Amino acid sequence: MTTRIIETAGLTKVFGGNGMAVHALRGIDLTVGRGEFVALVGPSGSGKSTLMSILGCLDSPTDGSYLLDGEAVQGLSGAALARIRNEKVGFVFQNYNLLPKANVLRNVELPLLYAGLPRKERKARALEMLEKVGIPEKANVLPAKLSGGQRQRVAVARALANRPALLLADEPTGALDSRTGGEVLELFAELNRQGNTVVLVTHDPKIASLASRRVELSDGLVVTPEERAA
Amino acid sequence: MILSGAFRERLRSAWTEIRENLGRSVLQALGVMLGVASVLGGFSISDSMRRHSEDAWLKRGGFDKLNVQQAGAIRDGTTPTALQNANLGLRKLDATDGEQTSDKTVQAFSVERFAKVRVRSPFADRDRDIRGIAADYLPMNGYEVEKGRAFGAEDIEKAAPVAILGAEAVSVFFPTGEAVGQVIRVGDTPVTVIGVLKEKVFRWRESEPNVFAWRNRIIALPATLVSKRMQGDPHQRVDRVVFKVPNLGLMDLFAKGLTSVLKGNHRQQEDFRLDDLAARVKKNRSQGEIYNMVFMLSGILSLIGGGMVNVNIQLASLKERVREVGVKMAIGASGREVFKEFMTEALLLTSLGGVVGFVLGAAFSKVITKLLEVPLWMDPLSFLWAFALALVFGFVFAIYPAWKAARLSPMEALRYE
Repeated sequence: MTTRIIETAGLTKVFGGNGMAVHALRGIDLTVGRGEFVALVGPSGSGKSTLMSILGCLDSPTDGSYLLDGEAVQGLSGAALARIRNEKVGFVFQNYNLLPKANVLRNVELPLLYAGLPRKERKARALEMLEKVGIPEKANVLPAKLSGGQRQRVAVARALANRPALLLADEPTGALDSRTGGEVLELFAELNRQGNTVVLVTHDPKIASLASRRVELSDGLVVTPEERAA
Repeated sequence: MILSGAFRERLRSAWTEIRENLGRSVLQALGVMLGVASVLGGFSISDSMRRHSEDAWLKRGGFDKLNVQQAGAIRDGTTPTALQNANLGLRKLDATDGEQTSDKTVQAFSVERFAKVRVRSPFADRDRDIRGIAADYLPMNGYEVEKGRAFGAEDIEKAAPVAILGAEAVSVFFPTGEAVGQVIRVGDTPVTVIGVLKEKVFRWRESEPNVFAWRNRIIALPATLVSKRMQGDPHQRVDRVVFKVPNLGLMDLFAKGLTSVLKGNHRQQEDFRLDDLAARVKKNRSQGEIYNMVFMLSGILSLIGGGMVNVNIQLASLKERVREVGVKMAIGASGREVFKEFMTEALLLTSLGGVVGFVLGAAFSKVITKLLEVPLWMDPLSFLWAFALALVFGFVFAIYPAWKAARLSPMEALRYE
């Protein structure tokens, strides 16, 4: 068990080329310890979405090294990255990204399916996760029948299903009104108290203040890496 | 177990996808349906026709026969040599010798002797063709005894004055019905009827006349009786010898052996002719195969057409599903998994389309064979062929869209609007 969940050194990301290159990240050194609640903030264009994609193994850095939960991630094949996303990362998106044609239970079961869990275990684990986010009674409902807050809870349950090392949330309250948004944030705080490592991307300083640490990005660089609070 | 579980899940979500987009799915499966229907229908119709004509052969007692008939040895109008004149022609001996050349190959043989004589009963008086028969003539020609009995070995050997009548002959000579035990005069010989044959019927179409009507005219007597009493022939000459050779592959070899044996019996004169029925039937069959090829080709063409429509629809619908693919990839689906999901969907759709195609093809064949007045016969192999072709084309045409989906970058797919 490493104590560092995220450890990057000199991460760069360049889009395009042939003189049109855009340097989205210009050398990020970031360390996140187990059990931390980190808010990644910055204006649009600061590179936080790119960083989030790389931290979540959706994309590979152009250069630099990245250790996720002790595993070197840079240069891995697509299939290996898919396995890491499945096992180590739980994503929560602004627009929920639930599969509209599958009911809540099947949505939550999906990462477990890709992990190769047998049917019974999948169901048991998915129900456990729905319990955890407080909507066990919605298991057989289609996402379209749920409110925004409930949908985001389903997304959180799905992200937690494989007990990932890292919970990555990209503006998880962006599409919610302030009250339900507050409830969802409270859910993240609660999950963090239970020991989950959370990295939350936001542009809202109020939300960021809930986190134990703020990492601010500007122009592809980390601006003020504050001291660890927890 | 894990694998099969994952497969079941893929199948389940594929089914959901198909059901949710019913219109699109039907359109996609249309090509498969028509392709399967056309292959199955074509095969079934051509098989039904061929089987029907082979049925005629079977009712005649099968086509696995080699006929030997008397033929002139003299060619080009030359005068016959002394040797040729001295020849006796086809005899009973030829039949038994022929059978002995390879009694494993020959399952049965028959001997025929024809004559035209006056036949009289209390009810009728006609000039009729009669047929002297021996050995397995009746079963080899598909005759079945309806009443009474067939000739025994003793009847043939001793040239017993007995006769067997076909259905038409019964109705002519004994219009009141009961023929067995009655006496008819054949030429000058009183002959007792010991058996009556079942009526033989075969029609190319229901509305057409019975092509076997002439077979019901048979008046059969022991071949020996016809030779001795009706023709005064001490040599037991016969007009035709037929050998039944069930293994058609051995037919040519047997024909060769038979020819040399018969030439030995005939002082090296080839005054007989071999006629291989199986060769004729084979020709008939190979024609059927050509039809099948044509039907298969038209089926393949519609499968190709349908497949291309399929690719287009699939690619268009992929645009709607890019996000879904992105989400699946984000939560851990590899490109391989996405590929499998798309392929499962395509193959499930192909299978469903194939089943509908079966129904269409069967209905189509039923209608056509009904119009042709031929009994429908569907070979299980035709179903297999049609389905296998559909699956192959379904698979091939599904590869490109599935591959495109699998190659999406997860990040770009997630951001796709």
